[in-house]
Amino acid sequence: MKANFDLVSLCMEAACESRDSVDKWRRQKRSLERLPSPLADDLLRRLHTRRLLYPSLLEIFKHSAEEIDVRGENSVDAEWMAYLGAFRHLRSLNVADCHRINSSALWAITGMNSLQELDLSRCVKVNDAGIKHILSIENLEKLHIAETGVTAEGVKLLASLKSLSVLDLGGLPVNDMSLNSLQVLKKLQYLDLWGSKISNEGSAILSMFPKLSHLNLAWTSVTRLPNLLSLEWLNMSNCTIDSILKDSKAPLAKLVLSGATFLNEADALLDLNANFLSFVDVSYSCLCSFYFLSKMKVIEHLNLNSCMMGDDSVEMVACIGRNLKSLNLSGTRVSSAGVGILAGHVPKLEILSLSQTPIDDAAISYISLMPSLKFVDLSNTNIKGFIHQEGTQQEASPLSLTALQNLTQLERLNLEQTQVRDEALYPLSTFQELRYIYLKSTSLADISLYYLSSIPKLISLNICDAVLTNYGLDTFKPPATLRMMDLTGCWLLTKDAISSFCRIHPQIEVRHEFSTKAPIDQSGPNRSSLSRLTTRSVQGTKNKGITSLSPSFIDQRLKYTRDALLALQPMPSHLASDHEKDNAVFE
Amino acid sequence: MKKEDTVKLISAEGFEFVVDKEAAMVSQTIHNMLTSPGSFAERQHGEVTFPEISTTILEKICQYFYWHLQFASVLIYMSFLTLCCSGKETEFPIEPELTLELMMAANYLHT
Repeated sequence: MKANFDLVSLCMEAACESRDSVDKWRRQKRSLERLPSPLADDLLRRLHTRRLLYPSLLEIFKHSAEEIDVRGENSVDAEWMAYLGAFRHLRSLNVADCHRINSSALWAITGMNSLQELDLSRCVKVNDAGIKHILSIENLEKLHIAETGVTAEGVKLLASLKSLSVLDLGGLPVNDMSLNSLQVLKKLQYLDLWGSKISNEGSAILSMFPKLSHLNLAWTSVTRLPNLLSLEWLNMSNCTIDSILKDSKAPLAKLVLSGATFLNEADALLDLNANFLSFVDVSYSCLCSFYFLSKMKVIEHLNLNSCMMGDDSVEMVACIGRNLKSLNLSGTRVSSAGVGILAGHVPKLEILSLSQTPIDDAAISYISLMPSLKFVDLSNTNIKGFIHQEGTQQEASPLSLTALQNLTQLERLNLEQTQVRDEALYPLSTFQELRYIYLKSTSLADISLYYLSSIPKLISLNICDAVLTNYGLDTFKPPATLRMMDLTGCWLLTKDAISSFCRIHPQIEVRHEFSTKAPIDQSGPNRSSLSRLTTRSVQGTKNKGITSLSPSFIDQRLKYTRDALLALQPMPSHLASDHEKDNAVFE
Repeated sequence: MKKEDTVKLISAEGFEFVVDKEAAMVSQTIHNMLTSPGSFAERQHGEVTFPEISTTILEKICQYFYWHLQFASVLIYMSFLTLCCSGKETEFPIEPELTLELMMAANYLHT
């Protein structure tokens, strides 16, 4: 808070106010020469974000700036580089995603001895000719040239940059030959080779890098990995794995094998040194047995999304649950009984995803026995919100969500695409710490809004595709903390109702087809959820969900014919087609 | 105004600004000079000389000290309440010509 009113910040603000104010101080050469580099870097950054920076203005910083980050800036071209080449103390230059940078533009920075970090990622016009310019920067320690036009021949040349400790060659056609010539880089700690043409022959060379701690081989044809003594971070996603790090003493901490295929499943992971392993991602892999988990005593993050895991293997997870903080079981075959096995063994678990699993309401009582939970994802499941008891009517059944009241730290709850109806949401109104709630169902009505209005700390409320009415929105008294409301697909609401709600509650950002704010960004950070599912799988369960609705369920839209429905209000075309699709299901 | 409650700030050109100790203490650097144990000359005489800071800039800094005492805490509180405040009288005006020098002095004084 205080930072906004300290004199340095106030001066920065005043200096970057407009082009005129810049013109008032840019001629003060003597002051600019004395400007300490942290101030110069900060000033440059602010000028850049306010779009006041242009090539010739760069010149005034040539005695002071040490760090330049203009990534993603389309206007950065050879002229900018010509000015940057004159910077005497420049230590770090980031021009990633600046598409106008080409090889000849890099000529300007040849021989810059101060430069230690250079990021040219995705500058597609940079090729081997550009590499020849870079070779003259002798002290370069970190170089990122992922997804540029550099070829295997160009990569070979990098061998002369002896100080390199970080080398990102992602998406380049690096082959075994070029990797072979890089083995003189003894200081290398971080090597990114995703999507390269490295084979097992090339991977054998990796043991020549004594300090290598961070290795990315995703999407390569490497199947065997030699004994790498200092490896801490390994990514072999989408590879076919035969054996990795057999009997190795490597202090591996993070292992990502998402989408990997295993030739010899039993051995591949059993021989790992798991003493330090805290992060394992084997999502979408074809693993069937999970005995390897039993060795991972210190694991904190485990992602088993869409693995062939059933209730019989849950025991393996329970054994190592002592330190577990996040667990993703989305898309597995784990049922309520499996969740029951976990309960009581995961005292530190904060994030649990059970999206797209065959769990039902019985699982909720087990989940309530996991005391540290902050985020629970139950979307796309058969949860109804009622505990089914033999011989009783659903109306008389106890509400299952009541059990979650035990979770005193629960902040986020995802119930999208479940069968939870209005009455079942009643227990949520007493949740003290709940901040984010995600609901998406065609069977929710105004009464849900009423229940949710009494959650004291609610920040974000997503209630999509519901049959909310204008009256319901008018009478909704949002909690004082509410900042975001996603009403996408609530088709009964009119433009007037939305805009009057926005007027009365200006602090709340409303998302709806009629909302006047920026168009809905489906991939925005506020969109759910922990289980970012593939579109294909969402579609799959969506259809399943609709067909499996109980016979007593009446969709409000059935009261109207399709024509009458469309006549009710003019809908944007994409939305109308959506509803047509839904109606077709019911017809 | 008692002598013990004030402090004399001297600019590069030798101009002297007498300000309340409380105001001068807005600067962490001056605060340290005046309160640190041991016998700093600054502490004994209640005088601090800044051979690097010109008179114009030091005057502006003294104005800032008093502005900070009067408004900053209120502004921080107001921004906490997410109230918007656009009143000109609460802003601290900085002439663009002074920004660089003032920025460096402020950086040195930790204000």
